Amino acid sequence: MKKFALMPAAFAVSVLFAACSTTPTTTSQLDQARGDFLAAQNNPSVAANAPLEFKAASDALDRANAAAAKKESLNEIDKLAYIAKQKIATAQEAARAKQAEADVANAGRQRDEIRLEARTAEANQAKANAERAKAEADAAKAQADAAANSARDEAAKNAALQQQLADLQAKQTERGVIITLSDVLFNVDRAELSAEGMRTVQKVADVLMQEPQSVVLVEGFTDSTGTSQHNLELSQRRAESVRAALVGLGVPSGKIGTRGYGEAYPVASNADAGSRQLNRRVEIVLSQNGAPIANRR
Amino acid sequence: MKLWTMLGGAALALGVSACASNKTPATADVAVSREAVAAATSAGAADLAPAEMQSAREKLMRANQALAAKDYKTAQDLAAQASADAQLAQSKANSAKATTAADELQQNIRLLREELQRANATSQQ
Repeated sequence: MKKFALMPAAFAVSVLFAACSTTPTTTSQLDQARGDFLAAQNNPSVAANAPLEFKAASDALDRANAAAAKKESLNEIDKLAYIAKQKIATAQEAARAKQAEADVANAGRQRDEIRLEARTAEANQAKANAERAKAEADAAKAQADAAANSARDEAAKNAALQQQLADLQAKQTERGVIITLSDVLFNVDRAELSAEGMRTVQKVADVLMQEPQSVVLVEGFTDSTGTSQHNLELSQRRAESVRAALVGLGVPSGKIGTRGYGEAYPVASNADAGSRQLNRRVEIVLSQNGAPIANRR
Repeated sequence: MKLWTMLGGAALALGVSACASNKTPATADVAVSREAVAAATSAGAADLAPAEMQSAREKLMRANQALAAKDYKTAQDLAAQASADAQLAQSKANSAKATTAADELQQNIRLLREELQRANATSQQ
């Protein structure tokens, strides 16, 4: 009986002392903690960004290692090893957070650089656009100036032409512009042009040369003296004479038509010498836009 | 027999007393771990580090229970573990937030760069 009573107590004691005396130098939990610690130690970000947290982790691991060295219970070692593991992980997270914050700052700077680049590119683009616009404006102005000049020239030419027509006492009618060559420009009862007649025809030729699209009809008229046959002939011959003179001065012959009307279409009464002279005339009709000249009504 | 039981009892008593703590440090440690859990919660650790937060809360609860039961050693052990868990949870939450912000910013920069390239391409036409 004594022996049996002793056994459990002795056993318990021996177990107690055995536990304290055969403590291994490590547990799996402690091994893990040591491994985690090495990783954190080798991570330059941890040393740089989380030195305080790393120190706390290091201290916790020291405590766990000390417990193992002192051969404390597995339970104790594991509890300290667990805490060390958590603190090592905390140091790693703290380093990660600091690193991310540095990246944010860096990225902020990068973003500002890109924005600056974009604005510079915009400014250059705007400048190029402005230069192009100015070049276009300058070209447009040059064009406008040229157009104004040519319009001025055109106007001057037109004014000159109007002056010439005015000199010739040209009249605008529905058939075209009519220039009248009076009787004095021919010799009496003859069809040849006098010297003054030639000068007048020269002026008409000048006008025609300026209006290349014009079509010309030369119409001859006489007064009522003499036979109608004779007057028809004379009026036709006078018209031809003017036509020949114009052609001789360079007006293309295809443009010029002739017609003799004799006594028809008088412009005055034929009752006295003065009015008869007025009827003896040649009329040159110009259709300035090239349309054929309508017949007399 | 008496000698053995006495020795055994003494050894046991020694073992227990070597590991015994008293009430004040234990209460302080539990208070500290309660603060740590609160701080981690404010940092958003419930969403960003749920496993660590759950472990911390559970251990804090058991530490309170041990404190009430006057098991001061256990209370201290559990409080220490709860604090370590809570600190880890908080630092995980912080690093998650910072990493998300950094990633977003990188994305923004990438988009900005693309836009710049596109603008350069069209302007050269």
